[in-house]
Amino acid sequence: MLKFTIRRLIISFPQIILLSILVFFLGSLMPGDALSGLIDPTVPIEQIERLREQMGLNNPWYIQYRDWMFAMLQGDFGTSFFKQQPVLDVIGDRMLNTVWLSLFSAVLIYLIGIPLGLVSGRWNDSPLDSLITGYTYLGFATPTFIFGLVLLLVFGYTLGWFPTGGSVGAGVTPGTFEYVVSKIQHLILPSFAIALIGLVGTVQYLRSGIIETKQKDFITLARAKGVTEGKVYTRHIFRNSILPIAAFFGYEITALLGGSLFIETIYGYPGMGRLFLESISIRDFSVANVLILMYGMLAIIGTLLSDIILSIVDPRIRIK
Amino acid sequence: MTKISWSRFLFLMTLALVLALAACGGDSSEEDTSTDDASTEESGDEESSEESGEEGDAATGEVYNYEDFEKTVSKTGDPSGEGTLNIGYSSDTPFEGTLNWAFYQGAPDADMMAHFDEAVLAMDADFQYTNEGAVQYEMNEEDNTVTFTVRDGVNWHDGEPLTIQDYVSSYEIIGHPDYDGVRGSTDGFTLIEGYEEYRSGDADSISGIEIVDEQTAVFTYTELAPSLTAGGFWSYAFPTHYYEGMEVSEMAAAPETRENPIGIGPYKVDSIVPGESISMSKFEDYWRGEPGLSEVTVRVIAPSSIASAVESGDIDIAKSFPTDQYPDVADMEGVEWLANIDGAYTYIGFKLGSWDAEEGKVNYNPEEMKMGDVELRRAMWHAIDNDAIGERFYNGLRWKATSLITPYHANWHEEVEVPAYDPEEANSILDAAGYEDVDGDGMREDTEGEPLSINFASMSGGDIAEPLANYYIQSWRDIGLNVELTNGRLIEFNSFYDMVENDDPEIDIYQGAWGVGSDVDPSGLYGPDAPFNYTRYETEESTELLTAGNSQEALDTDYRKDIYNQWSELMVEDIPVIPTLYRAFVTPVNERVINYSEDYEWNEDLLWYRVGVEDAE
Repeated sequence: MLKFTIRRLIISFPQIILLSILVFFLGSLMPGDALSGLIDPTVPIEQIERLREQMGLNNPWYIQYRDWMFAMLQGDFGTSFFKQQPVLDVIGDRMLNTVWLSLFSAVLIYLIGIPLGLVSGRWNDSPLDSLITGYTYLGFATPTFIFGLVLLLVFGYTLGWFPTGGSVGAGVTPGTFEYVVSKIQHLILPSFAIALIGLVGTVQYLRSGIIETKQKDFITLARAKGVTEGKVYTRHIFRNSILPIAAFFGYEITALLGGSLFIETIYGYPGMGRLFLESISIRDFSVANVLILMYGMLAIIGTLLSDIILSIVDPRIRIK
Repeated sequence: MTKISWSRFLFLMTLALVLALAACGGDSSEEDTSTDDASTEESGDEESSEESGEEGDAATGEVYNYEDFEKTVSKTGDPSGEGTLNIGYSSDTPFEGTLNWAFYQGAPDADMMAHFDEAVLAMDADFQYTNEGAVQYEMNEEDNTVTFTVRDGVNWHDGEPLTIQDYVSSYEIIGHPDYDGVRGSTDGFTLIEGYEEYRSGDADSISGIEIVDEQTAVFTYTELAPSLTAGGFWSYAFPTHYYEGMEVSEMAAAPETRENPIGIGPYKVDSIVPGESISMSKFEDYWRGEPGLSEVTVRVIAPSSIASAVESGDIDIAKSFPTDQYPDVADMEGVEWLANIDGAYTYIGFKLGSWDAEEGKVNYNPEEMKMGDVELRRAMWHAIDNDAIGERFYNGLRWKATSLITPYHANWHEEVEVPAYDPEEANSILDAAGYEDVDGDGMREDTEGEPLSINFASMSGGDIAEPLANYYIQSWRDIGLNVELTNGRLIEFNSFYDMVENDDPEIDIYQGAWGVGSDVDPSGLYGPDAPFNYTRYETEESTELLTAGNSQEALDTDYRKDIYNQWSELMVEDIPVIPTLYRAFVTPVNERVINYSEDYEWNEDLLWYRVGVEDAE
């Protein structure tokens, strides 16, 4: 297992290098750079040129790439011109928020999604199942941003149960119990907005998995042996039907860590999704490049994670 | 002809659809795209380096006029000094958090800072420095010096007194060779003797600045330009003691800037949630008197939900409120709506030359350019109905522009007579100038009889961008001019300015917007050596007027007004650009707030520290 993981990680290394080159090259094709948005008569062209020279923006992309790579190998990820802050700090601030949001959403997705899937799979074609599948169809059809807005309007503004924006209340001191509570309160609405829509896939996969498995011969055999109905489901069917979900788990986590642009925008939640969009639209490549590279790494790690989980859940596909 | 009516039909359909959709969706959550916006002069709260393009919502059909709004809340009087004020700041993006006047980049940071730090030089409604602030100045025209004096009893939030060194430090830091921000190239800096030597690293200090004592310094300038008193002098103090021993290059990212900034304003920062909110509490030692509140919080709120936040009482004041949402929420209860004119205008520019990078000046060359004929430009002005655009697309919160000296600079603005909406007149001008439809396709050919196709570049962003661009195109097609969108579509902000800046031959005309700073001087946008003079227009007459407008003689307001008026008229005669729309902003304020004002007029009783809230009951 360890050997497999290490081998996978080694293979992924050239992938990341290739990705970074591609990203850098494509970025160089985009019109504008970090300074082109500075259309302000109080900033003379000479000064902008001076800054460009200083930041190395006048060099061809491969030179810039080389400098960037060398700097990164020395642990210097660059500085964001707009935020006047090291790139790692910029990302770090947002990353923490996103990790919390992703964690909450993922827990909710599985906490709600798996029982729903189990119920509707076990008693398929019952009224309860129709209700659940009805919900999943609705969920598939509802855009996240509409759903997020509705939740915000109803529970945030009309009922006033939850805070309406931000990641933590203004003025609470980090480290206190109050701070943690405030953080959690701020997470509830956005994570539900993500989870209630995001879980429909899980429910559907699980439901069809169960329905398919329960018609298999070994289930009939188990029943013939006299295994109780409850045990048939928990021992035999569940484990087999969870495979597709396990396979997607890694991807799901990476996707969540990428941030949700809509939800972040609606809830004024400073996370990775918005950071990425912002950096691209203001051509803050020093941030954008690191982000893309990170996403690339996350995707690779996610796949790896999925493979590992799969091999744990399903001994049949364990790697030799 | 069928082609025209077909496209008109399509346009109307699009318009109807857009309006219908706008009518359904009260909340618009689309990305705000930046219209370009730059200030001609930096200073304090008048500065805006970037600004969101608002989208109009014409569905409700109501037309408003900003002059009908109050500028100040109805409740005034002495604040109790108690209570909490919640301010919302409408923005799609978190604020960057570079909370120091010398280093910040984005306008949101400036708006945040204004709550806990204030300009040491105060400004009146004409954006002229006065002596009402913590620092007073006295100009001496005989030897080109200005004496700056710090008042007694002004303290930083950490208790240290404000000294003249703090004011001088601003210059020393911004001018420092290691300073990598964008400031320090305006008259307020470059006119100081010895500044360039200091900036290039050849001198250890700025020779033109002499500190006389703890509270006084004398600055020597090479020339006393009128821009100096209109935002030219740097108007903030830098807490020198607070950053002691720190390298200039480390200051912007330091915790002193990002986590615990200090100022001299009425409220001091208690805590900051990066990008989201700032909590402040009363600063008892504030030099003007006791602040009117015990606590203030400022939060960034998504534009899609800011109206609800105001309605629910979650926030008391919504700053940079998205104007396009106003018609939908105008009759909100418990809220007073304030409005004032915004320092910006939209315009259509004609490419009339190119930029000579070697000489660093404009190469005005109308003979070679498609839009070189002033009669053609005048006809195009007659063809567009900016009043209708303001009413239909923006509910009157934007309206027809006349002069390039906007009414925001009320003291210098004068209505100029501009070509009125009159397609007949436009047609006859074109006929007289020799633009005739030779081949009978319904479109005019140029004076030589060659097909004339005009490329119009317009930026994407917001609901209105597309129908507005289409409206202009249609208006010009109606007078027989074949105008098409550059690239066949709207262009993204960065690409747009990339093309405009580089005089891309694909652009003959373009639509843009400028923010105007506190200084009325437009030479940064229209001067012969201004790279932002995107139309590349330059004549002797214009240059003369612009130079005269910022000469020492122009310290006399009447003289300056007269000069800029002549210049505005010249611009209407020569038409390098058509100013299209002026704009207003609106601010909803909860009825419990007292003394809050959006007025530019200086009023001792309505300053920020005087703002309070009524008792809770």
